[in-house]
Amino acid sequence: MIEINGLTKNFNNLCAVDNVDLEITNEIFGLLGPNGAGKSTTVMMLTTLLKPSSGSARVCGYDVVKDAKKVRQSISYVPQDMAVDIKLTGRENVMLYAKLYGVPDRNTRVDDVLELLGLTGRAGDLVRTYSGGMRRRLELAQALVHEPKVLFLDEPTLGLDVAARKKIWEHISALRKRGMTIFMTTHYMEEADEYCDRVAIIDQGTIVALDSPENLKLGLGNDASLNDVFLENVKTGEDQTGFDAYKFRTMLRRR
Amino acid sequence: MKQIFYYFERDMRKWTRSRINVVSSLVMPAAWLILVGLTLPIRFTDNYLEFLTPSILVMTMLFSSLQGGALMIFDKVLGFLNKFLAMPSPRESILLGKILFISTRGLLQATVILLIAALLGVRIHSPFNIVLIYLTLFLFGVLFSALATTLALHISDHDGYAAVNSMISMPLFFASNALMPYDQMPEWLRMLAMVNPLSHTIDSIRELFMGGVPVEGIVGLAVAAGVMVCVGTVQFRRTGV
Ligand SMILES: Nc1ncnc2c1ncn2[C@@H]1O[C@H](COP(=O)(O)OP(=O)(O)OP(=O)(O)O)[C@@H](O)[C@H]1O
Ligand SMILES: [Mg+2]
Repeated sequence: MIEINGLTKNFNNLCAVDNVDLEITNEIFGLLGPNGAGKSTTVMMLTTLLKPSSGSARVCGYDVVKDAKKVRQSISYVPQDMAVDIKLTGRENVMLYAKLYGVPDRNTRVDDVLELLGLTGRAGDLVRTYSGGMRRRLELAQALVHEPKVLFLDEPTLGLDVAARKKIWEHISALRKRGMTIFMTTHYMEEADEYCDRVAIIDQGTIVALDSPENLKLGLGNDASLNDVFLENVKTGEDQTGFDAYKFRTMLRRR
Repeated sequence: MKQIFYYFERDMRKWTRSRINVVSSLVMPAAWLILVGLTLPIRFTDNYLEFLTPSILVMTMLFSSLQGGALMIFDKVLGFLNKFLAMPSPRESILLGKILFISTRGLLQATVILLIAALLGVRIHSPFNIVLIYLTLFLFGVLFSALATTLALHISDHDGYAAVNSMISMPLFFASNALMPYDQMPEWLRMLAMVNPLSHTIDSIRELFMGGVPVEGIVGLAVAAGVMVCVGTVQFRRTGV
């Protein structure tokens, strides 16, 4: 479904994504990594929003640079920051996407996805009145309205409470059962452990681990959690990003 | 390119849902006309209101078009643009939708001004000229909303855009014949005003008010608007990949 070969992205002299090779089949694939590791940059190259500095990637058989339009027809992308129009109703938000994608029989289709994500009851309300979890589900509804083959989710559960996160994950799992490929990033190890078929850990733009969560944990020995695997592989600590937690705490105390 | 209309519809709905926005953008230009036209102590011409109405019309189109660039900044900062760019619809339809919305909004504002001017006694005799006034204002709106939206694509935040906006709008407005006829200007100002697209548009509208048809002015504006739309289209197609 997705083939990535030597994908690289440089911003000036910062190498955000460094020679990444990955092959993703029909699965839920989780890209994990600390802040600034290059997760969003990778997703943006795969969704044709950023041009790779070198290397190539194919999504559904189409090159993300040369066949960008075909790629865009096959995918949906839900970015890291929530972007839904709060002055429009939930239904209007989804309808906009149905229209832009040229979905046939769009009234029924919009009702279907709203139903699927449990938003039917509130579909006529302005999104301003929605909770964070509902807004996320609305974004999923927008992304699903044209039945994409591959769904890119950049931190879909960021900032949601436990129940809302569980709900999102149930939807994602259900999509996987219906044959959709899901490429997602997250900071929540327990979630990746429970729901992802395979995960890759990226650190400073380089893939440092790649396997199913079970195998990765086994590699560390008994009772290891995915968190341990993460900490074992990731070298970028808070200290390297120039943040001194100890200093910060003493500073706060002095106030 | 149905997508242009869908993007237009989105902005229009969002705009009309916020009553304060609608009221302020319809009342402000009218307030300008009444304040400046009736209370300004200096009058440069005999029928200053007739002289001023075209200026207020074009000025309103200018300010509201440039202000419209902020829509693009919002879409970009809040992440909407990335979602739209990841869709298969032609990327320039985002630009064209914005142009259509901003220009339409400008024409609604212009309508309010025209109605108030009519109440105050300004008359346009030929209906054909009214149509041409709308056409001229529309072309002017297309020119500047295309410019604004394209600039906004390259500017990363709101403050930056506000700075660019005032850097364009203020000099254009004050170095024009909006408030003063050419023969009242000092020499240096006249030179500037003569090359200012704002002045040309105001001249065209004034001629239309008086019953003439400024073919050259309208064609010139159409060409400028066309070129700007093409430049913007190229820029939008080029974003990202
Ligand atoms: N447009 C840009 N210009 C310059 N540098 C950038 C740009 N976008 C990202 N970067 C840098 O590239 C690196 C990777 O950023 P990216 O957003 O991909 O990280 P991330 O893994 O998504 O982090 P997070 O978990 O915080 O979202 C960071 O160091 C970031 O500062
Ligand atoms: Mg990110």
